[in-house]
Amino acid sequence: MTSLTQKIHFAPAFPIPDYLVGEVQSKLAYVDENIRAAQVSPNGDDIQLTFGNAIDEEEKKLIESKVQRVVTSLVKGAFKPKVQILEDYLDRPLPYREDPMAELLRRGELSEEASGVYALGPLLTRLINWFESRFVALADSFSAQPYRFPTLIPARYMERVGYFRAFPHSLSFATHLHSELDNIDQFAQHAACDEQGNLNVPMERFAQFKALLSPAVCYHLYFALADKPLPNGRVTATAVGNCFRYESSNLTSLERLWNFTMREVIFVGPKEFVLENREIARQRMQKVFAEIGLAYRVESANDPFFIGEFRKQVAFQSAFQLKYEIRARLPFKDSTLAVGSYNYHQDFFGRHLNITLPDGSPTHTGCVAFGLERIAFAFLAQFGFDTAKWPKVIKESI
Amino acid sequence: MTNLTAPNTLDERIREALALALQVSPDTIITELSFGDIPQWDSMGHMEVMMRLEEFFGIEINTDTISTLTSVAAIRAYLENSH
Repeated sequence: MTSLTQKIHFAPAFPIPDYLVGEVQSKLAYVDENIRAAQVSPNGDDIQLTFGNAIDEEEKKLIESKVQRVVTSLVKGAFKPKVQILEDYLDRPLPYREDPMAELLRRGELSEEASGVYALGPLLTRLINWFESRFVALADSFSAQPYRFPTLIPARYMERVGYFRAFPHSLSFATHLHSELDNIDQFAQHAACDEQGNLNVPMERFAQFKALLSPAVCYHLYFALADKPLPNGRVTATAVGNCFRYESSNLTSLERLWNFTMREVIFVGPKEFVLENREIARQRMQKVFAEIGLAYRVESANDPFFIGEFRKQVAFQSAFQLKYEIRARLPFKDSTLAVGSYNYHQDFFGRHLNITLPDGSPTHTGCVAFGLERIAFAFLAQFGFDTAKWPKVIKESI
Repeated sequence: MTNLTAPNTLDERIREALALALQVSPDTIITELSFGDIPQWDSMGHMEVMMRLEEFFGIEINTDTISTLTSVAAIRAYLENSH
């Protein structure tokens, strides 16, 4: 079978500064469904798109105009973010330099169910359980109350916190068949998947979307606290949950999943309470990462806002130091991967969800979040599969 | 509360810039107004304010300064010192 691929190049409407190369590249995946890969040259003066099919001149023009919309929206008038590094242990010695994906697949530790959706085997599960034990210990050190949250999240909640404007590209929707006998009967008789795995059913058979697959854990807590005074003026909670963020052709290996798991420790209360605990959590995790010799850095970061709000939200996050990522080194590609983050939302959720402190002012919120599949992947990328070379504390526990 | 009604060009221009940025009446832009006091002055509104100030006053506001310009009074002091 011959695969028909086509590459096109063009110059961006504005030179892309180095601090936006990665952001522009990741957003180009959403320009057209046929884009298989997007590449921005390191100096920001060339864009290359790879398509899974041949495209004609008219399509090319249309795609180029959309690409330039993305570039203009992200680059024009952009504020240069302030990069702040809180910890830097990237140069810790590591015994492994291979991409663990091939070995994980060979061992049957990974089963790809769909793009960005994997079943994990015993080794990965045990590693995740070990990291989970450390994250739960962190939560316990704050006497965080345990919560369990659903996988679905109501659309009206997400609308209330402006999620549709900020992150429309990564949403995942949930629906069901219209509850009507003939409709269900017809579906049962005719539903089938095509070769690409698409369920061949007309959209009118499905009910309107009232729910989404949840993109984060902490939102559920904020919604549970909405429209009332905060009990005792502060809440510390922890939960683990499935999260869903669709990333189109950016979905790759365990680095970037559509369906992943996050453990969060969540702080709700006055500003000082949230900021102090975020900082204490960082210092406590620094000791955990030192214990295992993880190579990583903690640096300022931004959330992956879509093009409409990107420029302003990113500048705001940077200016107010709202987000720091724990970026673990991936030696096989001389790169880093965000495995966790320390977040402060100011009084955004307090104001939008009417969660009030005893003095009537909106509450502040923050969370510490860990991506469980990513931390296990980063660990294997740094320490490999020979357990003799693993940190003693993990080797003895698994 | 003090209205910025004095015939001071700087005050008037600040009021005009912020009213446009936040899409509110110029009367809303009082000296005591701060980030978060009105729904329009949220994170997105704040960045609109920064961009309008750059445009109105021909200045470039760096990321360090963005977090300090969180009130009308702070904006006024900053603009006075930068001119």
